[in-house]
Amino acid sequence: MKSADQLGSATIGQGMNRMSGFLKFGSFLALLFFPALAMAAGGAETQAMSVEYRDVPGIGSRNLIWIVAQQHLLLAGFVLGVPIFAWVCEVVGWKTKEPRYDKLAKEFTKLLTSAYATTALFGGILLFLLIGLYPKLMAYLTDMFFPSFLVYCLLFLLETATLYMYWYGWDYMQGNKKTFHLFLGFLLNLFALGIMAVPNSWATFQASPVVLGEGDAWARAWMAMQNPTWMPVNIHRLIANVVLGGFIVGAYAGIRYLLAVSREEREHYDWMGYVGNFIGVFGMLPLPFAGYWLMREVYQYNQQMGITLMGGFLAWLFILQAMLIGVLFLGANYYFWMGITYRIPGSENQYKKPVMAMLIVLLLCLGIWMTPHSLVASLAEAQKMGGTHHPLLGVFGVMSAKMTVSNIMILVTFMSFIMYWRAGKQETAGWAKAAKAIMGGLLVIAGIAVVVLGVWGYFVPAIIRINYFSVAQVLIVLFIMITFTPLTAVLMKSAKTTTEMVWGKMPIRAGYSLVLNAVMVILLMSLMGYARSSSRVHWHIYGVMRDTSEYAYSPALGYAAAFMSLNTFVFCLIVAFIFWVATLGDKAKAQPPRGSTVGIPGHSAPAMAGGAPRAGEKLE
Amino acid sequence: MAKQSFAKSILKKTTVGIVVGVILVVAAQATHFPPVFQIMFFLYAMLGSLVFILLDAPPMNRLEGVKAVGALVVFYLLLSGLYIAGASILPQFDPEDEKGKIEKVLKLRRAQTELGKADELIARAKQLDERAKAITKQLSSLGADAKVEVASTTSAAGGGAASGDLVALGKEQWELQECYNCHKLYGQGGKKRGPEMDNIGNLMTFEQLKEKIIDPKSWKAEGFDKDYEKGKMPDKYKDLMFPQEIDALVAFLVTLKDTSVNTPKPIKMN
Ligand code: HEC
Ligand code: HEM
Repeated sequence: MKSADQLGSATIGQGMNRMSGFLKFGSFLALLFFPALAMAAGGAETQAMSVEYRDVPGIGSRNLIWIVAQQHLLLAGFVLGVPIFAWVCEVVGWKTKEPRYDKLAKEFTKLLTSAYATTALFGGILLFLLIGLYPKLMAYLTDMFFPSFLVYCLLFLLETATLYMYWYGWDYMQGNKKTFHLFLGFLLNLFALGIMAVPNSWATFQASPVVLGEGDAWARAWMAMQNPTWMPVNIHRLIANVVLGGFIVGAYAGIRYLLAVSREEREHYDWMGYVGNFIGVFGMLPLPFAGYWLMREVYQYNQQMGITLMGGFLAWLFILQAMLIGVLFLGANYYFWMGITYRIPGSENQYKKPVMAMLIVLLLCLGIWMTPHSLVASLAEAQKMGGTHHPLLGVFGVMSAKMTVSNIMILVTFMSFIMYWRAGKQETAGWAKAAKAIMGGLLVIAGIAVVVLGVWGYFVPAIIRINYFSVAQVLIVLFIMITFTPLTAVLMKSAKTTTEMVWGKMPIRAGYSLVLNAVMVILLMSLMGYARSSSRVHWHIYGVMRDTSEYAYSPALGYAAAFMSLNTFVFCLIVAFIFWVATLGDKAKAQPPRGSTVGIPGHSAPAMAGGAPRAGEKLE
Repeated sequence: MAKQSFAKSILKKTTVGIVVGVILVVAAQATHFPPVFQIMFFLYAMLGSLVFILLDAPPMNRLEGVKAVGALVVFYLLLSGLYIAGASILPQFDPEDEKGKIEKVLKLRRAQTELGKADELIARAKQLDERAKAITKQLSSLGADAKVEVASTTSAAGGGAASGDLVALGKEQWELQECYNCHKLYGQGGKKRGPEMDNIGNLMTFEQLKEKIIDPKSWKAEGFDKDYEKGKMPDKYKDLMFPQEIDALVAFLVTLKDTSVNTPKPIKMN
């Protein structure tokens, strides 16, 4: 273990052990003269400043904040992800004129009102705890960010008002008022974006502070907000929230499916699970790119921090991350494959071989993704491996390889979806054969091109690899998605359905796989939250304000993992409670399950291939 | 029937999984991967065969009511158990290491604030101050174009720095203050935020550089009109750095005279 070194070097920039006495002295003085401290003390020798930290007996202040902050963040991800989900469903329902999408959207919007209250509750608890337990840090952050607090409050007012109009106006704004309702939904998501972005800046400022010039409080706050990791985190989180929203809806449907007693219920929740999984998967596809962009910014801001994360004492964390993401990809694909097998009877044999091949490719890719670039092994291990860079790790562990495999994983997942879409249908168009041949050819070429670029990437300077090769890989994958989707849609439009989709026949393990996906995403969020705050090592604000409390150190991975599991469990309970409360009203009204009442025959929505069950037809 | 063929399929796929796992382990051993990896590779192969098995497992019976909920909880406990176990078999860093490190840093600080002064450190600072003054004098007597003799500016600031000269200390300051985040030097570091530094010694004098670092607004690099607003040079060094440290840094900067690099011209502001 080299963690002492790693931590040390992160503390004062470069290796402490090779620091001269002069430098030790310098950094020590730097600390003393530090603007942060000066400011803290300078805020007139107030009483509050004499207390830097307060502790909570037993659990400890840090652990308490950890739990509350994580709950707040997960809930926030949920209440930001669900409106996106709901709005997309509403738009799809409006475009395809399939009322069940609209109903689904409404069903989830209903959850939002109580979910919001719960999120705000945890936000309030978090704020009070932070002020009470970390007064020094909070005084500094308030001083810097106060104007943004006001913006945050304003956004909250706007968001809440919009949500009320969106929810209570749902039935009123149908027909020709629908476009206005959709606009409200758009506004809702716009304000939500702001609500996410503002506090993101506080968190990212802690990791990558920029030092402020002159100007009034507003200018300073704005400058502090625009820190280097703010935008990448905004993007990564926004997409991650869509994934969270989708998979939680999926898990809800999965659980309801497992508990369903009537066939109608099963059909309905089977379909809902399908839609949730679909949105989750589609959100997941761009995430690796967003993740690497974030990492690149971290490296640019401060190489030491990047190294702490990817090659230092947190390197093993990224193996865990790769595992979780890997299982997530497997789970999502598995659910698609289950869908082919059980919803489209008769097609399982036709797709057996491709599914096997895809699974093998996925497993290979995951294996490479898991391999870290460099690692902290024990000293003996490190020597045996010839320093921290193992020859094979060097080959598989670098970005070139990871970008390549994540591109291929995305391609495979996309193809699972296309396969699912086409299953049980017979193309009739005269040009179908040619189109299929072209698509097959393109896919093969794209796959080869991605791999070739990946391998070639080893032989060109990093800058060319990053700026051209990686970009080209991403563009190739995007090109495939952008061309295949409409092409398949057109093909399917004229296709003859040989086997009807059968809903409600999925085996119960499909329900479990939906639950699995949700658990993986929640664990992933908890894990990465830990990564973000550990990457600062023992700084509250990296390089600016030291954490001098007794909890400044980073907890070890195994211990942290137990905390993450606890947090995940608590979060699941809270969400279950929210769902349960929301369905109480339904029970009173005793609406017949939707599976039997709505859904008009027609072509399935291309945007969500497979679309809705044609309920009418299946009521034999 | 179905049950029997499923049992067969389990057997077959588990066997394949074990074979692949063993091959992976042998290969990993042959290439001297640490044991953790060998275990991981094996578990990974088993995960693969598990997915294969699940792919065409026959449907299980549905559970009802409380049993179904119980099964879900068990499922969650299984997942988190696996997760915690997985995270725990990975090598752990020891939080005690970091605690020790933090303690060291804080002790110095406490000593200073509580005792009012740390004589030893002050003496050291005085010594350095004198040396800095001497070199400053030497530099100004030689004029702006002074070439400071440096044994090797490129040698990393290693252990020798403690006894090394001001320029080497200055280079260490460059690293320590993380100027490289925005400025490229020797082709390394900083992307696009600030100008490359390799030729700054030909463009700015000792005093001018000092002024720039203490008050970044005093000078502006040519061509950074737009970026000036966005990625502007931080105004923190006068607070963060001890005057001696700034002198050392500047002494290092004036030695940078690589004319092949296009360092932009500084323009005096106000
Ligand atoms: C956050 C980014 C950033 C950091 C960190 C930074 N600088 Fe700068 N620096 C700039 C930018 C942008 C410019 C160009 C605009 C200007 O002149 O202010 C610049 C300009 C300069 C110039 C003038 C260059 C010329 O050609 O005119 C010098 C000298 C300089 N910086 C030295 C330093 C030193 C020494 C450090 C470390 C103590 C440092 N900078 C840290 C962003 C930065
Ligand atoms: C499919 C791939 C990926 C998925 C599903 C994923 C998922 C997530 C999720 C759910 C979060 C938590 C966001 C939040 O707190 O709201 C997160 C954060 C993070 N991810 Fe990813 N991610 C992926 C790829 C990557 C990659 C490739 C990297 C870098 C190598 C990366 C680096 C990070 C970091 C550093 C954070 C912490 C950000 C922060 O909260 O400050 N991710 N990711």
